[in-house]
Amino acid sequence: MLTTKRQTSTTVLYTVSTGPPVLSWGTRASQYGLLLARLLAGIFVLALLLNEYCHAFRCPQNLPGLSSALPTSPAHHNLAAWLTHALPWYYRALLATATTWLIFTKSHLEESLLVIRGLGVQTSTSSPSYLWTSTTRFIPTSSIQDIFIHEAFRGFEVRYYLSIVVEDEEDVVVVFPYTAS
Amino acid sequence: MDVLVVGVLQGVDPRNVENALRVQSLFRNAPHPVEHILDRCGGRPIHVLGTLNSAKTTLSFDPKLLSVRITKPGQMPRVECPKEAGVVLQVITFDRPDPRRMQYLSTTPISLSLEDKLGAFSSVPPFDELDKDEEVERKRKAKLVEKLKLHTVVTHPRTSKELALPIILNQINCSAELNDLMQSNINMVGTRLRRKMSVTERVAETAASLRDSISLRMKEAFLRNVWPTVSHLFIWLLMLTRIVAEALLWLLDWRPLPNLVALKDISATAQQLDIRLQQFCYWPAQYRTLQRTSCDWMSTSDSHPEYIRFYNSLWLVANDVIIGIALGSYVLENADLVAGQVDTIINTYSIEGLQRMITWLTDYPAGLKLNNELAKFLADLFLWVIDYWDGSMRQLRPLLPYVVRLIGLSSLAGASLPISLVSDLVSLLTLHIYSFYIASARIYSWQLTIIISLFHLFRGKKRNVLRNRIDNCDYDLDQLLLGTILFTLLFFLLPTVAVFYATFAGARMAIIALKAALDTWLACLNHFPLFALMLRLKDSRRLPGGVRFELQDTPAALLHITATAAGTRAMAPTSYIKLKSVPLPLSQTFSQYAQLGHRLRKHYLSPHVFLCLVSGQFVPPIHRKNLYSLQYSMLPVQRVTISELWGLLRTPKKVDTAAAYANGHVVGSGHSKAKQGRAKASEGYWWST
Repeated sequence: MLTTKRQTSTTVLYTVSTGPPVLSWGTRASQYGLLLARLLAGIFVLALLLNEYCHAFRCPQNLPGLSSALPTSPAHHNLAAWLTHALPWYYRALLATATTWLIFTKSHLEESLLVIRGLGVQTSTSSPSYLWTSTTRFIPTSSIQDIFIHEAFRGFEVRYYLSIVVEDEEDVVVVFPYTAS
Repeated sequence: MDVLVVGVLQGVDPRNVENALRVQSLFRNAPHPVEHILDRCGGRPIHVLGTLNSAKTTLSFDPKLLSVRITKPGQMPRVECPKEAGVVLQVITFDRPDPRRMQYLSTTPISLSLEDKLGAFSSVPPFDELDKDEEVERKRKAKLVEKLKLHTVVTHPRTSKELALPIILNQINCSAELNDLMQSNINMVGTRLRRKMSVTERVAETAASLRDSISLRMKEAFLRNVWPTVSHLFIWLLMLTRIVAEALLWLLDWRPLPNLVALKDISATAQQLDIRLQQFCYWPAQYRTLQRTSCDWMSTSDSHPEYIRFYNSLWLVANDVIIGIALGSYVLENADLVAGQVDTIINTYSIEGLQRMITWLTDYPAGLKLNNELAKFLADLFLWVIDYWDGSMRQLRPLLPYVVRLIGLSSLAGASLPISLVSDLVSLLTLHIYSFYIASARIYSWQLTIIISLFHLFRGKKRNVLRNRIDNCDYDLDQLLLGTILFTLLFFLLPTVAVFYATFAGARMAIIALKAALDTWLACLNHFPLFALMLRLKDSRRLPGGVRFELQDTPAALLHITATAAGTRAMAPTSYIKLKSVPLPLSQTFSQYAQLGHRLRKHYLSPHVFLCLVSGQFVPPIHRKNLYSLQYSMLPVQRVTISELWGLLRTPKKVDTAAAYANGHVVGSGHSKAKQGRAKASEGYWWST
């Protein structure tokens, strides 16, 4: 979904996003629901780690004190305790890592192209997780050799892409690499 | 038209400032010549651009005298320009980088390693094939890029505005120091009300000048009496150690013939010593380069990467020595225990383990039926050699505690020395495994080649070595008979030999893996970019990896019609952009490691290696010369010679001891006054104090 932010004729920002375009009630509700799910999963991972710690260092009596320090709930503790008994340790480690990775993955991707007359162009790709910031690349106009639209095969279909040839560089810079269609 | 705001002078008239700029009275008392910094800014003179929050509002747009308004602090500046002027405005705001803290903006990422070493060290196998492949790939891509140039439809010549970006970034980098200089000389502008100093200010000023004069007198006394003897002693000591280092380096680098290996190519300890000595030789030159930057404006210095490299190597060596002292004291205290442990490990793995393995191979290993006589013969052969080796090792066993003590002692000079010594000892102590591997690989590969050749004979063909192909051949009957019998014999004896070869090849691979792990540990100790990582956490603006622009939303109040005293008017379209510095990404900080890891993986985990193992050819260990690109990335290819070092140490550095007296106050270096208008990290438009 392409949005354009054009405040003057010399500065334009094109944004392509795989997220929902219109913020209706349904999409807003689903966003908040996802946020809640991430929070609950995070608390669950914390409870699991707490359980591991207690099992490793034999501290049953300290459990209430620790659990009041961290924002975990009894339901999470029961679930974590059940899992600690049910699965061997490598499955639990795998579950914890997979859940953490899922918590920090973003659900949609956003890419943008900023064109500033007299200065250059800047492409930006958002990172797939919340832990890193987006990668940007600024290309000054003096080092742009050419810009062209070319087609490429992806599976059995043909896709068009915009690419920038930068002087003294071997590879072209593809604009909107992940979201272009 | 591009304009860059260097600073804002408060409470002065534009015409007076223009006059002051023309007669250069605003650049008085500069600590260094102003031409240097102005040359850096493209050689253009500084002008008055316009007014900020002036009392009267303009009705027309004059590009020579802009009128800017900021109604609330922290708000975006608004340039007064009516829509009828037909001008489109772009306002780019930035956080001024502070050159005194070594911050700067740059479109190209800072390069932490010295110049590209690709051509400096000639590669040896196996990396030279990789180099050749990379070269071929690069040429192919360069040809494609050249071809692309033919497809350009319209070529736009570069306008001066487009070419101005590097100069603009230089000007931004210099703006902080220029602004400080101008703010400190604001009294020189025209008819400014000279406010008399209050009593407290006068007292503070007198105390400051008293303190300055005392410190200056003490510094002079010190410089005149103590410093010459101390510095001469230090220089002589430095030159002496440098000569000793040069002798050692020459010894380590000596090759009996130009193509043969030097000592530092075969031994890890020699290479480690070589690196340390070269680092030691390079430090004085680096320090001199850094000292020279203090003799000029901080904005014009290009030696920020040098600073990072110098302190990184110092810090790494300090870390090394600390870890080494900890390790060494432990080893020295428990030398006998450690010696006993080492003895047990060597015995278990390289002698008894191997003996057990070979005996197991003679007796239905894993259910395979081998030729008993051949297996017994080979086992006896290897076992006898191991016995002999064990006997000679036992002769040297009493020396083991002394060797351990030596390792412990050497670790006091850095943790990397015992690691390299252990790596060399591992190679020495497993020499028998290496010889077994070579012997069994030879036998196995011979057998395999003969079997293949006799197989061709089986089919009535022969290999033509001249043409490198398989040709038909008429064999006599007795040749065919003999060939078939030998083929059958050798084919059925192959599993026996193969099993022994597999054992020794596996042991050799394990030892290579161990040495690779030790080498990686050494590389981490020697070259970990610790300083760069810490800098990224502490102040990422010192490690620029590029710039980025962010389009800001134009505030609604400025977007549409603005109400002024004269009535409502439409403003020219303005866009607001924020310029930020992108810190160096982690992948580039570790680019050397990534490159080396990639090459190691291509060498060791490629199908080519498996093919070599299966056909009995030698898998060569990584020649130390291939690690040069990583190990010597922070050092120059040609080290600073003794005469150059002597010349560097003898040139006196420019010392500004002359106290300049101006306005009745002692000005030490011009910085003390400039500190009153010290740059704070804030928006490009800001007010002094």
